Parts: sequence; C-alpha cells; structure tokens
Amino acid sequence: MLKIKNLELSQGDKTLLTGLNLDVKSGQIVTIAGVSGSGKSTLLNWMIGDLDPAFQATGEFWLNDIRRDTMTIEARRIGILFQDDLLFPHLSVGKNLAFALPDRFKGAQERRRCVEQTLTEIGLDGFHDRDPATLSGGQRARVSLMRTLLAEPEALLLDEPFSKLDAALRIQFRSFVFEQIERQCIPTLLVTHDPADVPNHGRVIEISELASRSCLTEH
Amino acid sequence: MVEALRLTLDRQSRKRVCAGTGKDEHWLAILPVTLIFGPLLPGMYWALAPALDVAVWQSLWADSQWPQALCATLLSSILGTVLACGLASSLATLHYPSARWLALRRRLPLLLSVPHAAFAVGFFFLVAPSGWLARLVAQFAHWTSPPDWITVQDPYGLSLALALAIKESWFLLWVLSAVLGEQNVVRQMVVARSLGYSRVQTWRLILWPQLMPRMGWPIAAVFAYGLSVVDMAIILGPGAPPTLAVLIWHWLSDPDPTFQARGSAASIILLCILLVCAAAAHWLWRLGQARLSYPSGARRPARALRWMNLHTPLFLTGYAIVSVLLVWSVADTWFFPALWPDTVSLDSWKQTDWSPFWTTLWLGVAASFLCLPAALIWLEWGPQRFNVVLYLPLIVPAMPLVAAQYAALLHLQLDGTPAALVWSHLPWVLPYMILTLVGAYRAFDQRLMTSSRALGCSRWRACLSVKWPILFRPIIATMAVGFAVSVAQYLPTLFAGGGRFVTVTTEAVALSAGGNRRVLAVQALLQIALPVASFALAAFLPYWVSRNRKGLR
Repeated sequence: MLKIKNLELSQGDKTLLTGLNLDVKSGQIVTIAGVSGSGKSTLLNWMIGDLDPAFQATGEFWLNDIRRDTMTIEARRIGILFQDDLLFPHLSVGKNLAFALPDRFKGAQERRRCVEQTLTEIGLDGFHDRDPATLSGGQRARVSLMRTLLAEPEALLLDEPFSKLDAALRIQFRSFVFEQIERQCIPTLLVTHDPADVPNHGRVIEISELASRSCLTEH
Repeated sequence: MVEALRLTLDRQSRKRVCAGTGKDEHWLAILPVTLIFGPLLPGMYWALAPALDVAVWQSLWADSQWPQALCATLLSSILGTVLACGLASSLATLHYPSARWLALRRRLPLLLSVPHAAFAVGFFFLVAPSGWLARLVAQFAHWTSPPDWITVQDPYGLSLALALAIKESWFLLWVLSAVLGEQNVVRQMVVARSLGYSRVQTWRLILWPQLMPRMGWPIAAVFAYGLSVVDMAIILGPGAPPTLAVLIWHWLSDPDPTFQARGSAASIILLCILLVCAAAAHWLWRLGQARLSYPSGARRPARALRWMNLHTPLFLTGYAIVSVLLVWSVADTWFFPALWPDTVSLDSWKQTDWSPFWTTLWLGVAASFLCLPAALIWLEWGPQRFNVVLYLPLIVPAMPLVAAQYAALLHLQLDGTPAALVWSHLPWVLPYMILTLVGAYRAFDQRLMTSSRALGCSRWRACLSVKWPILFRPIIATMAVGFAVSVAQYLPTLFAGGGRFVTVTTEAVALSAGGNRRVLAVQALLQIALPVASFALAAFLPYWVSRNRKGLR
C-alpha cells in the first residue's frame, strides 16, 4: 500500500500542488495526467528522493507502513522507469540486469543463470552478452523495465515510459508493462499526458495548471 | 564555456558534419591554420635533426645532471597528475550530486583564471620556510626564525608536484563538471541509486567506467603540462640539477651546438615519456576493466564520508595564494614570525615597472584578435574531422614544439621581432579558442542560417550579419580565453622574443630568483589581473551590447 499524505509542492512562491492525498493498493496502477509543467514529474522526483533543490515539499510518503520521504534514494526501495531506457552503456545487456539482481542470488554462475532466464521470459533469449546499443528501441525498453523489477522494488514509478516509442511498439510495450506489474503485485504510479496510456478501468488523477486542491479531479 | 566543453567531449558530436562545405572555402579555412602550424613541421625537423647522432645520446647519457633531472621530472609530473586526478575524483564522488557541488562549480572559473606562474609564486610565499604557513605554526610553536626545512625547491620536485596537483585538480574538476551536466549522467545516478546502490558505489560501478575514457585526453594534457612546465619548475622545482624541462631549456638556449643537440635529444625523451606513460595508463585501465567480476549485486550502505572535507583546503589554498600576494605587494617591513606586515606602504606599486604589463597586453590582444577570424572560418568551413590535429599542442609537451618554432624563426631570420613573438603564441591560443567555441558553434540553430540564405544572403553575409552576431557571447568568451592563454605563455615568449620582450610572466619568473618579494608579488598580481579583467569584460560586454535584446542574454 502506497500513501501520500497532505503533500504540498512549491517552487519559490509558486504552488504546484497542494493538499494531495493518495492511496494506491498493491497491484493497482494509478495514472497521473496533466499538461507539461503541471508538476507531475516533480511529484515523481519527490517520491524517488531526487527533488531539485529549487522545489520545496511538505507532506509524508508511506509505503507498506514505513515512512519513505525522509530516506535516501537507495534506501527507499522504489523502482523508476523514465522515457529513456537509461541502460548503462558500458555493461552488456545481461550485466545490466545482473546489476539490479539482489545479492541473495550468490555466485556468478547462479546469477548469470537467473539473468538468462529473465531474458528468455521476455523473448530475448541469447542476448546476455550483447551491447545495449545494438538493441532495438522496443528491446531496450523491455530490458529497462526488467532491470527495474529485478531489484524487487516495493513500488513502481513510471515517468512517461511510452512517449518515445512509435505507435505500434507503444501498444505492445504498454501491455507488456501492465502484465509484468500484475505479476509483481506492487502499487504503481504512472505519469503521462496521453489518455491512451491509461490501463482499462484504471484510476486517473488529473493535475490541472491551476494546481489547487479543487482541481485535482478523479474519474 | 562549460557547455562548449561538454559538446566537445561528446564523442557523438564528432559525427555531425557541417553541411554544404564548398571546396574553395575549404582552402580559405585551411590557409590561416597552415600559416600558424605549417612552419612547425620543417621547424620540427631542424630542431630535432641534431639528435639523430649516436654521440649526442651518449653525451646525454654521460651527463651528470641528467639522471636526477629525469627523476625529478618523472616524480613531479606523475605524482602531480595522480594527485590531481585523485583530488578531482574524490571531490566528485563525495559531493556530486548536491548543492555543495553546484557551489564548488561556481567558484571554479575564478580559480582557473589564476595563471600557473602567479600560482607558483603565491604557493612559494605560502609554503616556503618563511611563508605564511610557517608563520602560522610559529604562533603556536614559538619559533623566532624560519625552520631549517626544505619545503620548496626540494631535490625531488615534491613541492612542484603538490602545486601542480592543486592547480590541475581545478582544471579536471571543471572538465568533470561539464560532463556531469549531461542529463543522461544525472539520470543514471538516480536509476542506480533507486536500484539500492549508494552514491559511492554508483560512482565506482557506473559513472567512472563511463567517464574515465572521456577524461583520458584532459588527463593526458595535465600530464604533458607537468612534464614540460618550465615557469613553475623554476619557481618551485629543484635548483641543481633542475627538472628535465628546465635543463632542456638551458641546453637549447646554449650557444654551443653540442648542448643544443643534447637538448633536442632530451626533448624527444620527454615525448617518449608521455607516450609510454599514456600507453601504460590506458593498458592498466583496460586491464582493470577486463578483470571486473560479474555484478555481485552487493549493496553496501554509504559509509559516513560526508564529513570528509576536501574542498575547503583546496579552495582555501587558491584564496590564500591571491591574499598572500596582495599582502606582500603592500608590505613594507615584515619580519619572520609576524602574520601581518609591521608596516604597509604602496611604494612597491608606485615603483612598479609597467612595461611588462603593456607588452603582455598588446601581445594578448594581438594574438586573440588574429586567432578569432582563423577560428571562426575554420569552424564554418574547415574540415572538422581534423580538429584533433589542432588540439595536438595541448596534449604534446611544449618543449619540442617551442624548439621547432625557434628553429623555424631562425631559418626565416625573424627571431626577436614582434611578429615572431605574436606568432609564437598562436599554436596554443588557436586550439584553446577552437575548443572553447566549438560547442556553442555546433549548437547554433542551423535553421537561422537557412532562413537568412533563403532571404538571399550569401553564406558569408549570413555569417557576418546573422550567425556571428548571435554568437557574440561565446565569441567574446573565446577571445577572453585566448587572451588568458597568451598571458600565461612563458617558453614561446622567451625563445621567439629572443630576450627582447618582457611580459609579466617572464618578469615574474625572472624576479623569483631575486630576493625582492614585494616587486615579485606586484608582477604576479598583474599576471592574475590581466586574465581576470578579460573574463570580467567578456561577462559584461555581451550584457551591455544586447541590453535591448532579451533573447540574446
């Protein structure tokens, strides 16, 4: 269960968000929609722990009954996926995944086996030693999501993860993402400006430009 | 400028090729560059040919000063480079990303504009046995006379290494800050940390393996500088025997041809040291990378390293150096254990010899004004894939190049003329100017050129009336960099000027051998004042010129 309590985000005198309260259950995907500049990416930055010093935030962020907004990024156990895949270019595809794999999988052989199995599951059998730069956009997007999920995050944040993919790939990758989230059963926040990205029957929270409490509308 | 450097370091940007380069303009672009670099090629032959004799090498080998000079050079340049890399990388690892890193970045340009010779003079005033540090200790230790220690000009060049390390760490930090401004690097940090890795681990496993290959050239430049530095080595380095670079300079300026040949041979050795060390460092890095084990997934919590406060001493040294120069320049009587002068006076300033200042000023202005059109035309029409060749003077030890320059001037019978003096600065001024300008130049919105040409302008006209005026701010910043580079030149001024021209740099180095610290402090401060004034002008001028154009600010 992910909880945001009474969040207020501001930049100097300008208030971006005020009085935001939000509960996301495990396995649920809540979409945050809004035009650019409305503060939706800033919200994700605050949750992950990377808020730009130009912004100020008050409020609490709880995940599975532990308060997270006072922790460092690495202690929060939250996964994030950006619109760029951000695979580490100096590591092979497999090592990118092995980097995320928890250390309870011991030994290079065992870890490699785990990673190869994950690659097989996402249809990238035999891609272990490939350079990420040689993969197609769709393949990289899949590896990037799996890297985030292999670290076993307790919540997932998606920052417009589909916006850089072309139309056909977009539909494919979208259903791949939703399928994987369902398997992991973790609360997920999706930020987007495209209504087509919203999963079926998913909750949508709209942040309007005026950014006051009354403008946070739910459908 | 940081933006410019970032783009230069970006390997991808090399792939971009300027569209529509005509053949005729090609030659136009190559001509000034050929005039600047061309004479160096035969010069290199004339300068180094005497070394093609076995007897020369035997005499070098038998020289009594040579082994220890080599030792001091190797120690000071390798130690200086390693320490500078260590300082810069630990600062980045500890503080990036944070508000402190941003604060540190803001303070860099001021420190970077302090020329090497002035830095060395200030460093000498700080750490010499009668320097500020010793005076500070004396307050507690109740010393009445300077300690009998060798803290500067030590036989192994350790104080030189330390000064190089501090000065060059600022340069490396500046290069790093340019690379770290990239969006992808920032985001990779967030991704790796969200996977559970601490900041230090992320640096070690993710950022350094990516950044180090791009830091290779700047580090090579730092090492090459340390190998061939003469001005700092005269002020801070060992005396008898001096470092190899100083020894080569003595040999090359000796009237006896056998000594000149020995100098040529030794400057080839400098070049070889650079190549061998660069190859070794590259090989070690590759070996280290190849031996990295499969990612183990071990997340180590950040150790409490935040208390480690490296940046304060580093920046404090910079400020202390300028302060101690200021205090000495107004000191009248200042006996040993006192922290401040007993009496102050402006006498040293009033009696200042201003002729080195004016020589430096016209020389710097001439060099940067000559290089500006060459740089602009090169960037507009020149074959950009040869930029690397132009950058060579920055990563090759200066010694063989200066010797080549001098040999060329002797053959042309131009040595000791003002024209020769200006030309001798250009092979260093031009590459720095192109390096500074290339980023902004490539980032220019090409559609503006297309629109103006669609309106009927020729490419020349479009450049003169649209592109270059819009790029006024980076162009002025580039001129300031060119001027600062010219101010800092020591060897070319000595050789090409034939001893007839005295700049603040050569004057400061010459005075450092004498005992008058007040006069020396004044000349060192003048050497700092010139680049600082040029950078201030470069910051103010575009603001004033475009005061009615918000889009240009």
